[in-house]
Amino acid sequence: MIRVTDLRKQFGNNEVLRGITFAVAPQTVLGVIGGSGCGKTTLLRCLNGLERISSGMIECGEVKLESSLSSAEYRRRVKQLRRRVGTVFQHFYLFPHLSVLANITEAPVHVLKTTKRKAEAEAGELLDSVGLQYTARRYPESLSGGEQQRVAIARALAMRPDLLLFDEPTSALDPKRTSELRMLLREFVEHGHTMVIVSHSLGFLAGASDYLMYLEGGEVVEQGPTKELLNAPKDPRTKEFIRHAG
Amino acid sequence: MLVCGFGATNAQKPLRWGADPSGGAPYVFTDPSNPDKYIGYEKEMVDALATAMGRKAEFVPSDWETLVSALQRGSFDIIVNGLEPTADREKQILFSKPYYIFQLQLTVRRDEQRINSLADCKNRVVGTLSNTAASRILQQEGIPLRGYPDPVSAYRDLELKRLDAVLMDVPAEAFYVHSNPKLKRAGPPFMRGLYVIGLRKGDEALKKEVDAAINKIIIDGTLERILKSWNLWNDAQVEFQAPIRAGNQNAEVAYDMTTATFNWRDALFRLARAALVTVGLAFGAMIIAVIIGMPLALGQWKGPLVARALCTGYIEFFRGTPVLVQLLFLYFGLPVFGITMPGWVTALVGLGLNYAAYESQVYRAALDAIPNGQWEAAYMLGMSPVLAFRRIILPQAFRIALPPMTNDFVSLFKDTSVAFAISVWELATAYRELANASGQFLLLGITVSLFYLAMSLPMAHLARRLERRLRDRSERRVETTELAEAEA
Repeated sequence: MIRVTDLRKQFGNNEVLRGITFAVAPQTVLGVIGGSGCGKTTLLRCLNGLERISSGMIECGEVKLESSLSSAEYRRRVKQLRRRVGTVFQHFYLFPHLSVLANITEAPVHVLKTTKRKAEAEAGELLDSVGLQYTARRYPESLSGGEQQRVAIARALAMRPDLLLFDEPTSALDPKRTSELRMLLREFVEHGHTMVIVSHSLGFLAGASDYLMYLEGGEVVEQGPTKELLNAPKDPRTKEFIRHAG
Repeated sequence: MLVCGFGATNAQKPLRWGADPSGGAPYVFTDPSNPDKYIGYEKEMVDALATAMGRKAEFVPSDWETLVSALQRGSFDIIVNGLEPTADREKQILFSKPYYIFQLQLTVRRDEQRINSLADCKNRVVGTLSNTAASRILQQEGIPLRGYPDPVSAYRDLELKRLDAVLMDVPAEAFYVHSNPKLKRAGPPFMRGLYVIGLRKGDEALKKEVDAAINKIIIDGTLERILKSWNLWNDAQVEFQAPIRAGNQNAEVAYDMTTATFNWRDALFRLARAALVTVGLAFGAMIIAVIIGMPLALGQWKGPLVARALCTGYIEFFRGTPVLVQLLFLYFGLPVFGITMPGWVTALVGLGLNYAAYESQVYRAALDAIPNGQWEAAYMLGMSPVLAFRRIILPQAFRIALPPMTNDFVSLFKDTSVAFAISVWELATAYRELANASGQFLLLGITVSLFYLAMSLPMAHLARRLERRLRDRSERRVETTELAEAEA
């Protein structure tokens, strides 16, 4: 679904990502884990085109991002990439001036040019699938953090992305809501969605992801199937991280 | 100094006289070849009077419209500024005996065919000085008039076709029109009025002194010499001075006196009309400001370097210079480049351009207040920058901008009063002219304030409500976030 090859990202002289390589198969979840400042958020922002990569390659379907592209061409391809990749931000960034329903239909109507009636019907189904059909006419400010997050998920899914990116999805959730989210995401995967989840919460990723990738200092320390990596980490740095997360 | 002042006798005390020297030729005005010096026939006359009284004249430059109240406050002891003894002024101050007989002269453009007398002016706009014999005559005749603070701007507006005619006392007319090839006299001078010196009520001793001095300079020919040197000597003066010089010092002179026609019903009607102009100016200027403010804000915010520099230049210029100066420039300066706008258009455009600079900053602050995440969220949904701006950023920014804009509107509302400088008949002009004509500074002041308040209070109230609603919303948002974080 997405393939990243030797991805590097520099801010001035500071190399934040130092050659990241991985691939995500369709209908699976990759959890990206690591401490603060390990580069996991930057990686996510490269995957959705918010940051331009310094070297390496990102392939998603037929869209290929390379650092050698002219900036106009890079922008054009990022636009194509964003049709395939949806993002749910840590702080959701719902549009406060629009109702929940309008938050979801805004992009389908104005970007995909779907008719309003069709977009609203689909939005209703999406709200249903995240258990929030009763909020359609309300405004984001009146929703709890967990509800806002699920609206953000529905909003991203309305664009029918191939791949969904999550940035720290559990940071605003209590344990009960965290486990509800995990079940919701697994349900979406069963229905054919593919995800990359960036988180520092090992507990959440243990249940939510099929594969884990541990980042430290902008490098991939270790990656593999979730169970394997958790039960038998090979690298001492991974072991150390898991022990502390314990 | 203070002790010395108290101990001094009248003879040593300077004769402090007040007059308006701005555009005050030929009465008293700044010497063009020596800007530190004042000249004029009345200046020379007061010097002669002071000499006759054994005193030294001391000129206190003042403003025509507030001469009477300044005299009452004690800023100076006498008014010598072509003052006509009217009934309403008589209630407030004391008059000396007359020293000059003035007439009125109607002036038109040289190519004017239709206007040959005041009777031809019924449906035309005539310019004049506010609160003078000429303005009172026009008012009596029901001729639409526009009051000016000085003759120069009135004659200039006549040249620029903002006026159809100008009615002015002969001394000023003789000085300004005589050498102007674009203007001509319409008909002969008419009416005979008196110029007297104004004194504080109860200052009888000084009045006696002044009257004696006037007689003295008439009898010894000093006044005649001064008037002749200013081309102001005419038959009217000969008739007026003859009996005095013959020894009949208390001879009555035949003259017409104008009276101010002031009544409250008329005043309220005129104030209401002025209030409408004020409202129109405020709304019109705000619409211009809100429309022009947005491209300015965008140019300064995200524009290319040249646009950014231009917009910043515009904003700094309009914020950094007084709106009064900008209006005066637009009104008097632009005609030099062939652009002549009527007063109300000038006020509308001037205030609009000025407030656009402020509104651009309101927009910019509002745009800056939108979290970057809103842009990113829009991009993530495949929106282009233009679409994201139009559908996501702008509606939010507008909501944030609304309360400060409403506040600005309230202050723009009050700023419309600077339009008095270019003789637009709005509330402040109305107040100044009506109050000066009637002396009802207090009551009219309260009335005008009530007019302003009746219009600005609802706006201020609206601004507060908008602000409160916005604050409540953001507080609710903070609460929900905190709640969620506490739960986690």
